[in-house]
Amino acid sequence: MNPADRDPAARRRLFGFLAALAILWPLFRMAEVKPGALFDAANLKVIGHFLGAFLPPETGAEFLAYLARATLETLAIASAGMALAGLLAVPLAYLASAAGREKPALNPLTRSLLTVLRGIPELVWALLFVRVFGLGPAAGVLALGLTYGGMLAKVYAEILESADAAPARALRLNGASRPLAILYGLLPQVAKELVSYTVYRWECAIRASVVMGFVGAGGLGQLMDQAMKMLNGGEAASILLTFMLLVFAADGLSGWLRRALDRPPAKRASPFGWRSLGLLVALPGVVLASFYFLGIGFGELFSLEAARSIGEFVAGFLSPDLSAEWLGKVAKGSLETLAISLVGTLFAAIGGLLLALPPWRAPFSFLLNSLRSVPELVWATITALAVGLGPFAGALALALHTTGVLGRLYAEALANVPAAPGRALRLCGVPGSLAFLYGTLPGAAPQLIAYTLYRWEMNIRMAAILGFVGAGGLGQLLYFELSLFHHAQASTVIVAMLLLSIAVDQASAWLRQRMR
Amino acid sequence: MSISTPRRLALKGALACALASAVSFPAFAEDAVLRVSAIPDEAPTELQRKFAPLGKYLEAQTGIKVVFTPVSDYAAVVESLASKKIDLAWLGGFTFIQAKIRTNGTAIPIVQREEDARFTSRFITADASIKALSDLKGKTFAFGAPSSTSGSLMPRFFLLQAGLNPEKDFKNVAFSGAHDATVAFVAAGKADAGVLNASVWDKLVEQKKVDPDKVRVFATTPPYFDYNWTVRGDLDPVLIRKLTDAFLKLDPANPEHKEILALQRAAKFIPTKKENYDGIEKAAHAAGLLK
Amino acid sequence: MSLALAGVGLTYANGFAALDGISLRADQGECIALIGPSGAGKTSLLSLLATAMAPSVGEVAVLAATPAGLGAAALKKLRRRIGTVYQAPPIPGRQRVVTAVLAGRLGQWPLWQGIASLFYPLDVPGARRVLARVDLADKLFARCDELSGGQLQRVGIARVLYQQADLILADEPVSALDPALALATVRLLVDEAKSRGATLVASLHAVDLALSCFSRIVGIKAGQIAFDRPAGEVSEAMLSELYASEGQELPMLATEPRFSPPAVATDVVTRTAC
Repeated sequence: MNPADRDPAARRRLFGFLAALAILWPLFRMAEVKPGALFDAANLKVIGHFLGAFLPPETGAEFLAYLARATLETLAIASAGMALAGLLAVPLAYLASAAGREKPALNPLTRSLLTVLRGIPELVWALLFVRVFGLGPAAGVLALGLTYGGMLAKVYAEILESADAAPARALRLNGASRPLAILYGLLPQVAKELVSYTVYRWECAIRASVVMGFVGAGGLGQLMDQAMKMLNGGEAASILLTFMLLVFAADGLSGWLRRALDRPPAKRASPFGWRSLGLLVALPGVVLASFYFLGIGFGELFSLEAARSIGEFVAGFLSPDLSAEWLGKVAKGSLETLAISLVGTLFAAIGGLLLALPPWRAPFSFLLNSLRSVPELVWATITALAVGLGPFAGALALALHTTGVLGRLYAEALANVPAAPGRALRLCGVPGSLAFLYGTLPGAAPQLIAYTLYRWEMNIRMAAILGFVGAGGLGQLLYFELSLFHHAQASTVIVAMLLLSIAVDQASAWLRQRMR
Repeated sequence: MSISTPRRLALKGALACALASAVSFPAFAEDAVLRVSAIPDEAPTELQRKFAPLGKYLEAQTGIKVVFTPVSDYAAVVESLASKKIDLAWLGGFTFIQAKIRTNGTAIPIVQREEDARFTSRFITADASIKALSDLKGKTFAFGAPSSTSGSLMPRFFLLQAGLNPEKDFKNVAFSGAHDATVAFVAAGKADAGVLNASVWDKLVEQKKVDPDKVRVFATTPPYFDYNWTVRGDLDPVLIRKLTDAFLKLDPANPEHKEILALQRAAKFIPTKKENYDGIEKAAHAAGLLK
Repeated sequence: MSLALAGVGLTYANGFAALDGISLRADQGECIALIGPSGAGKTSLLSLLATAMAPSVGEVAVLAATPAGLGAAALKKLRRRIGTVYQAPPIPGRQRVVTAVLAGRLGQWPLWQGIASLFYPLDVPGARRVLARVDLADKLFARCDELSGGQLQRVGIARVLYQQADLILADEPVSALDPALALATVRLLVDEAKSRGATLVASLHAVDLALSCFSRIVGIKAGQIAFDRPAGEVSEAMLSELYASEGQELPMLATEPRFSPPAVATDVVTRTAC
């Protein structure tokens, strides 16, 4: 062959392929991937029995009373947490944003505070607050408030910056102060986006508060944890149904609010109609009722006593166990967690792509939404039955939930790719599959890769705690050591979790750069 | 570019209002309530059911309102006792040791059930090939909560004595979180074998919540001290006295008391002392659960 | 006979009649230029020939087949023999030039070959040969988003050369090229058609280009054929009549935005969260 005709990229591709194989193969081994377990007769019987018990859902009066209370608690945690987050986010966003400033100046101090707040996942916060403030909703509210406060502030600041700056600048030049310039010049442009993002986050908060229940922060999650542990299918079904209803209702509410914002305002002097007035009354009402319902005394939370116990607690964490034996255990746990996250994300990427491809969307959208609305921790308890305890159960649980998330995003991305290349190929007689591979996929690839990698960053954090329900990895170590008050050992595990997330973030950023 | 003074005042006012409204909903009044909790060795709903009549009885005996807070985490009960968020707690032997350490030795065990002086754990399985502890090698195994005495510590201690290291010799170790959950794990085949406290096992068999033909006991641990009722050390001594007497006065001959005792699965309550649990502390050190 | 349209009309779903009463025949090996003002129906006519659309009335026969009556397999077989050069080359930016060119023969390759070629380009010499003809051999392994608009359009032409189609359709094939290159490229298409005996139908915006390179000129106006003459018989009067509505004699090259970036929400991070 003419040397000039040799593909110069081939060597690099081959190397990349071999490197990926060399990295993935041991991780697959580590995640104990054995698809055969899915079809193992004994496992099938177990899972069939459990899922069979889903029908009929539990409807006993006593249980329904618990369920109602837990549902209210979840809603209250989400609402109170969001209120706290909003309280944090508005001033922080105002400080961090360049919007409405005469010279666009970022405030690096606020920005880095936001990064820290967002950087530690809400579950780790919840875990720590549960230990400091005792079990119950206070921990969940605080954890949500901190992480979501950081997230909201960052996004608010960016939304304000993305608006057309001219109206605000004109107001500033006429002598208006910065807050007024933002209120009159920017807010009208971005109000819809701000509100819909906030409502979207509230929906996320509901999901998150359910997950935090698994570490003892109250609400539906705690109830679900119990039902799952007791393998009580009927109860689990009722709780899951309630949870999905809650999520869909939140979805509906957010849609309604967004449509309301789209409508032109009525012709009257007061900007407030019955809807906005109702909301203005309802929102503080809901927040106050949430705090009251949860019985959180913030005086108690911010007392000297609490400060002392936080201090003691933190002190216990300041001397992580760095003995070789323990580090070895943590390293093994870290690798296992990494394996779970990678295998789970890969499976989800494949599953999501397959489910995103069919052109008739309705049944697949429904399937994807259902997959997505069940939290990973719940999937993990189910997959643990299907394939036995261990990392494979964790990887499968991640894969199931993430398939729902990625499938939806993939479908959107594919729908937005220019159709011309694929159509042109089909018009010269190319079969549909090849037209997709040569014409459509290359256009969507950057989006698909970015979605997948970002999702991997979320999954490494989730994989780190899946061990709480027996899926191996760092979570199991953390649960065990925290239960025994081995703070030095637990501290090592938390540090390992943070390092692992940072490492994955870096790797993902590098890959995104490389695969652009 | 500054906020004018009146506006700043208004902002401050609004903020103060918001904070005040958040702070003005503290939980309960401090003094007139006895706050009780229990380690969640069974489902929280079950714990609440078990406690209701005992709570009424204690209310009547002490003249103080009794509030029971169910929790789903062993460590949180210990932590709450140490941070004085609860006054009286139903603890396992090992959680008592943890509480003793967390409160610098001030937590006081007041009573235990007669049965707790000679408590045992049962190893259960649904796998026909498991007949003795030594058959557990290479199997998946379910403990209860990591800090459970009868579901984790003592079985682990006796397993180690029998030459089995759970982390090395078992294929997979799971923590179900509670004793009844362990039975569910084993019955469903989620774990090949498990271990739980004898008292809960007997209750589940009595209530026919487990099929003894399917799930069977294949080993039992030697006896050890377990559960007690513990108060925080700085509780009013008069109240401690009243509580202790109230428990000791429970008489199986009295039908009302009999119901309470039955729910607690106790023949009667007897006094206990810290030293009873020294053996458990040693076992915990030996098993590596205390450092 | 290579193509035959008889009384063809095309009305879009919104009621717009793009073509009306078109009858046109061409023998194998003929080279035809379609000219006319924007919106006259040139692209619609080409779409009919490319079997991308079916006529509302009348009959279309391409390469001795009637696409409307064909089953899926037979239609695929027919389409293999039709190559189209587009005004905006339908090539993904992330694809490499070699892959984009080889894609021209995907219709003829078995499935496995198409997939294998994604991992290692299977006919590099072939791709190099056609790229050399459009003066782009040095860009063989470049990525398409590294090319200029004109270079990319020539890649699109190279793909059709590689396909070796019996019917070559070209929709404003040189709109992104400078005049000298445009002339050379159109000549290339005509030579290619002549040397292989393929039929060429090209719509051209630049009238001088059409007149100098093609033997047969079809003028289209408002969805109908205004004239159909050998190049030598096309008069100034016919042309000014054809372009009367545009108020200009010889329309110059027009470039349209080729790629609109996919309109997806930008904040991927927030979209993947939760």
